[in-house]
Amino acid sequence: MELIVWKATELLAAKGAIFRLLNLQTEQLELYAAHGLGKKYLEKGPVSSYRIITELCSQNEIIIIEDILGDSRVQYPKEAWEEGIRMILDIPLSLGKHVVGILRIYFSEHCEISKEKKDFMIAVAQQCSCAIDKARLIEEQQSRYDKLTIQTAKLSSLGRMAAGIAHEINNPLAGILLYSSNMIKKVPQEGPLKEGLDIIVHETIRCRGIIQELLDFSREKEPKKTLANINDVIGKALNILQNEFRLDHITVETDLSENMVSSFLDENQMEQVFVNLLINSVEAMDKGGHIRIKTRIGPEKKCMKIEFEDTGCGFPKEALNRIFEPFFSTKAKGTGLGLAVSYGIVENHMGDIRAYSEPGKGTSFIIEIPLIQQPPSEKTDGFKNEAS
Amino acid sequence: MKPLKILVIDDELVICSGCRMILSDLGHTVDICKTCKEGLDAIRRKNYHLVLLDMKLPDADGMEILKTVRAEKSEIYTIVMTGYATIKNAVSAMRLGAFDYLPKPFTDEELVASVERAIKNGAGCRKMQ
Repeated sequence: MELIVWKATELLAAKGAIFRLLNLQTEQLELYAAHGLGKKYLEKGPVSSYRIITELCSQNEIIIIEDILGDSRVQYPKEAWEEGIRMILDIPLSLGKHVVGILRIYFSEHCEISKEKKDFMIAVAQQCSCAIDKARLIEEQQSRYDKLTIQTAKLSSLGRMAAGIAHEINNPLAGILLYSSNMIKKVPQEGPLKEGLDIIVHETIRCRGIIQELLDFSREKEPKKTLANINDVIGKALNILQNEFRLDHITVETDLSENMVSSFLDENQMEQVFVNLLINSVEAMDKGGHIRIKTRIGPEKKCMKIEFEDTGCGFPKEALNRIFEPFFSTKAKGTGLGLAVSYGIVENHMGDIRAYSEPGKGTSFIIEIPLIQQPPSEKTDGFKNEAS
Repeated sequence: MKPLKILVIDDELVICSGCRMILSDLGHTVDICKTCKEGLDAIRRKNYHLVLLDMKLPDADGMEILKTVRAEKSEIYTIVMTGYATIKNAVSAMRLGAFDYLPKPFTDEELVASVERAIKNGAGCRKMQ
C-alpha cells in the first residue's frame, strides 16, 4: 500500500496521496498509508464524515474536488489549504457494490487528469481491493483458528479438573449410597423414613450418573477406528431413538449420499455424537417436529459432511457461542456435557463441528470429518495398544 | 449362604465400616484395613475367603495386593472397588486375577450381589492353604 501511494503520486505528478481503509466496526475511514503529506495534516485523525463515505458508496467512481475550502467532502478544509492542497482526486476501492476504502490523491495546483490516467488509477484501485479482500479473509481464518485453539485448551483443562473432582467425590458418595441403601431395608417399609431414604438413594445414583458422564468426557479416549460407512452409523443412532420419535410425533427425513464410502472412524463414538445431537433435537421440539439429516462427500473425496437440522426452539446468539463448553446447558436438567463430549469426539477424528441457530427457527449442526481409507498406523491406534 | 471370612481394604473408613455392616448382617466375618501394608499383613496372617480391595491406597497401589494374592494365596477371591472406573483399569485388575469389579459408588444390593456371585463361583469352598 505504501508503494501504491508513492507510485500514484509520482505518476499523476501530485503532491501526495493517502490510502484509507473503511473500518467495518467504527465505519470510519482509517489511515493506512500516506506519501508526500505533512505530519500535522495526517494527525487530524480518521475521516468520519458521513457524506464522504456515503457519496463514495453511492457513486463508486472517481470524484474530483476542486474547491478545497468549500467542498464538504473535505473534512479538514483549513488544514488542507494550509498544507498547500488545491485539488483532490478520490478513487474508491470497492468489492462488488461495497466500498472498502479510498485512495485520495492531493495536488498543489489545479490540473487536468487524462482519461488514460483515470482508467489506470481505477485498475490499480481494483487490484488493491482484491488484495484487501484476501488479507481480510486470512485475518478471519487466523482469528477463527485462534479461537479454536483457546477453546480446545479450555476444554482439556476443564476435563482434567472434572476428572479429579469426580474421582474424589465417588468415595464420599460410596459411603452415602452404601449406608442409605442398607438402611432402607431396616426401616418400616412405609412412612417418612423409607421415603426420605429412597430419595437419598435415588439422588445419589443420579450423582453417580453425572460423574460417570464427567469421567467419560474427561478421559482422553483414542478413537477405536475401523472401516465403517457413516450412513450406517447414522442408521444405528436413528434406531436407538426410534421410540422417542414415535412418542413425540417427530418425522425424520434422511438424505444420505448414495456415493458415501467407508472411512476409518470409531463407530461407537460417532454414534454417541449422533445420538447426542438427536436427543437435543427431540428435546428442543414440541410434538410434531421435523429432523433432516444429510450426508455428502466433500470435494476430491477428502472429507465427508454430515448435517443435522431440526425445527426446534433454537438458541439465542449468546448461547450459541457457548454450547460446546462443558457444563453449559440450556435445558433445565441438562448436565451440559453432551455437546462437549461430541466436540471432543469429532476433534479426535480430526474433524470440525459447527452449529447454526436462531431462536424459533431451529438449529443445524454441520460435522466435517476427513475421509480416511487407509488404516491408521499402529502408533495412533489406541485400541490396539490397549488390547495387546 | 455359607459365611465367609472377608477382608475389606480401603483408606476410607466409612466405606470399610459400611461394607462390614452390610456383610456382617449376612453372617460373614469382616475385618478392615486402611493401608496396603496392613492389608498384606492380614492376608498373610489369616485365612480369608474374600478380599474387597480399593485400588487407590495411601501407601501403594492396590495392584500390589492383587499380585501378592495371586502369587501366595490364589484361593482368595478378590473384588476390586474403585472410584475411577475405566475399562482399562477393570481389564488390568481382571488380568491380575480379580474376580469382580465394583465401581464406586455402589449400593448395598450391588455389593451383596457381587459377594454372592463369588460364593456361587466357589469362594469359601476351596481348600485353605
